[in-house]
Amino acid sequence: MTQSPSRPTGRTVQLMATCLCDAFFDDVAKATVEVLEHAGCEVEFPENQTCCGQPAFNCGDWPASREVMRHTTRVFEGDKPVIVPSGSCAAMLFHGAPLEFEKEKDLPTVQKLASRTWELADFLVNGLGIEKWPGRFPARIAFHRACHTRGTGSGEAALKLLESIDGLEVIPFGEAEQCCGFGGTFSVSFPHVSSSMGCLKLEHMTAANPDFIVSGDMSCLMHLGGLADRGGQPVKTLHFVQILQSALHRHG
Amino acid sequence: MSTARDQIFSSVRAALAPLPERTARPVFSKDVAEPHWLATEADSLTLFQKRAEATGTKCFTDMESCAAWLRSQGVRTVYIPAPLTRLAALCSEFCEVTSNYTRARVNEIDAAFTPAAGAIAESGSIILSDESTPDRLAALAPWHHIALVSRAEIHRTIADALAAMPDDPNLIWVTGPSKTADVEGILIQGVHGPGAQACLIV
Amino acid sequence: MAEQKVELFARRLDRGVQQAVHSNSAAGTEKRYTVLGKDYSAPDDLRRLAGQIRQHAIEHLDTYLEQAEQSLKRQGAHVHYAVTAEDACRAVSDILQKAGAKKVVKSKSMISEEIHLNDHLGSVGIESVETDLGEYIIQIDGDHPSHIVKPIIHKNRRDIAKSFEREGLGDYNDDPETITRRARVFMRDKYLQADAGITGANFVSAETGRLVLVTNEGNSRFCLAAPKIHIALVGIEKVIPSDAELAVLLNLLGRSATGQQLTVYTEFINGPARTDRPSGPQEMHVIFVDNQRSQILASDCREILRCIRCGACLNVCPVYRQASGHAYRSVYPGPVGAVLSPLLAGKNFKQLADLPKASSLCGACNEVCPVDIPIPDLLLKLRNRGHEEHAPSPGTPPMGAFAKLASSPMLWRFAMKSNKVMNLVPLEKLPLPYLQPWLKTRTLPEWRGGEFRSWMKDRRKK
Ligand code: SF4
Repeated sequence: MTQSPSRPTGRTVQLMATCLCDAFFDDVAKATVEVLEHAGCEVEFPENQTCCGQPAFNCGDWPASREVMRHTTRVFEGDKPVIVPSGSCAAMLFHGAPLEFEKEKDLPTVQKLASRTWELADFLVNGLGIEKWPGRFPARIAFHRACHTRGTGSGEAALKLLESIDGLEVIPFGEAEQCCGFGGTFSVSFPHVSSSMGCLKLEHMTAANPDFIVSGDMSCLMHLGGLADRGGQPVKTLHFVQILQSALHRHG
Repeated sequence: MSTARDQIFSSVRAALAPLPERTARPVFSKDVAEPHWLATEADSLTLFQKRAEATGTKCFTDMESCAAWLRSQGVRTVYIPAPLTRLAALCSEFCEVTSNYTRARVNEIDAAFTPAAGAIAESGSIILSDESTPDRLAALAPWHHIALVSRAEIHRTIADALAAMPDDPNLIWVTGPSKTADVEGILIQGVHGPGAQACLIV
Repeated sequence: MAEQKVELFARRLDRGVQQAVHSNSAAGTEKRYTVLGKDYSAPDDLRRLAGQIRQHAIEHLDTYLEQAEQSLKRQGAHVHYAVTAEDACRAVSDILQKAGAKKVVKSKSMISEEIHLNDHLGSVGIESVETDLGEYIIQIDGDHPSHIVKPIIHKNRRDIAKSFEREGLGDYNDDPETITRRARVFMRDKYLQADAGITGANFVSAETGRLVLVTNEGNSRFCLAAPKIHIALVGIEKVIPSDAELAVLLNLLGRSATGQQLTVYTEFINGPARTDRPSGPQEMHVIFVDNQRSQILASDCREILRCIRCGACLNVCPVYRQASGHAYRSVYPGPVGAVLSPLLAGKNFKQLADLPKASSLCGACNEVCPVDIPIPDLLLKLRNRGHEEHAPSPGTPPMGAFAKLASSPMLWRFAMKSNKVMNLVPLEKLPLPYLQPWLKTRTLPEWRGGEFRSWMKDRRKK
């Protein structure tokens, strides 16, 4: 995946909370705000934001997706960094959108937004230069590197921060490069394949007996958590930013 | 009516014409695909032996031990090209030696010596050409094949070997014995070609 | 609700087969990873270089194909062209019939699968025997390969032993070594009796006209050692500028396919036998096959033509591991097949337009591809094409209403808040066709729409 080499790193940022956080995971959005503020950022939340258009993009309905993306480019105008607490929505902005606009007149507008977009961990580490995260979080976690962060600095960045937290241990597990099986609408149009992939992922992750299953994408966690729950063996899931937030609280 | 050739070329050209620019031919140094451990390896002969053994090719540096190995393998008929008289003498102590490879005897001859056109240290490969091994079957059909590799003809790297390919209708790099993992991923040696691949470095 | 075909296939797949495919694929991924990691400090740079080499080659196909043709002719080979699969089949049988050939041996070649060569040869009374062990088993079983490198990944030793027994290759014996030895003996006679050997080619060097063939079993070598005619079927996209590029491509091919530095036999064919080199086939024919490739070159998915058929993307693909190869209903399964097969289908694109949907777009395929093909992007482009052409796609929710909602902030905010009623009703009872497949195996978290927005507002007031 291609990311612009000169993304803005200013401390006034625009937050794209993502539709999943808007609908289900307000905790994660709140944690994102607190963590960014701790890092010295002023967080703006453009009220008119909705979704990145990825569902339609992945379904192949690019005209519908472009309609949403055009709205998004209008909502996130300006030059400030746009921060997304989701590898997949961030990738939609910096990779998917330019792809679906390849033959469109307003490609430059979309490219401009793409070149301002940061996935959260990537921004904290590679944008702001944070190397260590303060506080304490005594737990063993299994970290699922969300697929949409492949080829970007996000996975490593999140791990770097997590591993620097006092008391936290990141444990390895098998077939780590494999997808959790969510895949957006794939999860409902291929329910058997999607669930089987998820169960396999859960098997590998839980074999190591972690206290939490952690990722940078709520979509993966919603799917994995939902599977475990339905299977009668619930697991505790956390977005990495919730760990950063929690560590801060324990820091005092 | 236009020929298939014309049709294909015109659709290829039509496909490429709208490209605003075409990807340039990448420039790369000859050693770009060399494994990083290669630089610290010893001389090419030692490296070749190490790599060949790692891929399942036995290496001999003297005729006696090579002959002793064939004897221990229970070889009954060995093909040895005419000029290799000393080798023939050694082998005739324990098996039939023939200097004539014919199709009629393909299933009887269970070992064959043929000269190699060279070798590659990096991968432990033996290079055979039609010039060096005038009968392709001789190097392929017997269970044991022993290539005669000359020290002077060991290329250090794959790139070196590619740059020095002789003009020959057929060159083959042999890297270990014939093998398959088609049945349940289980490795079995000696499918169609030699089940025991060796080389005698001369 | 109708089901996606790959989903249906995966759901009905025998558990034992699925587990065999999974473990064999996972072992392949592991081996590739280990050997690349051991040998290269920056394997991704090498993959990108190989990708550029191949992209350059296909974007100069006009030049290189012509050059390859001249080089091959200079070496004494006959060069033929075939626009369609049928043309290619006919070209082969014409050559054979002209020479009075009745029996041929074949080494593994994907393009011959693609054009259904064996069926054609059978129909004109020519016996054609697959010599690769896996392909031979596929042939006697009337089956189809389920992996491009490991064709019988879906079969176990007991299946194979039964087939051998049925074909008169000995009593039932499922020891892999015995199976292999029996094939060795059986094939010997076939090679020696054959009038012609048919192969594919992994690469063709335009500069020298060398055809490069890689195998592990040694069967392609036999096809070129015993018979007097050699026919090579080559997709037009296989050409590369010169031998020098092979240093990159061969080093990646073996490692990506089977975790080997090089496959056991790497063969360079540079023309038919000469008076001073009489060992090989007297006649050499190269048939360049288009079969939709020039159309793919014209499309925005041309990157798929870089493919060197290593199978690494199949091995790593979680969907392939669940569904196995036959789910893809075409010669090329897995991620490469999900792109290539609908494109090769030409005007029948719609029949395979579901394949690009059978992916979670996780991108593992792109990460392992030795020529760095952006497979997920190509899958997405093909999904878009399927949508434009109204290809059926069961289970895919329509997106029009979503787009309206997500482009109108007022409506969006209202929906966020009002959807809270969802928490009060049993979701399983709701007549929402796209929600039910989710709920069958998963729960949904509590709806908390609008919570974050009001928190943020309060925070700003403070
Ligand atoms: S697409 Fe890439 S990984 Fe898949 S078979 Fe082709 S070369 Fe190999």
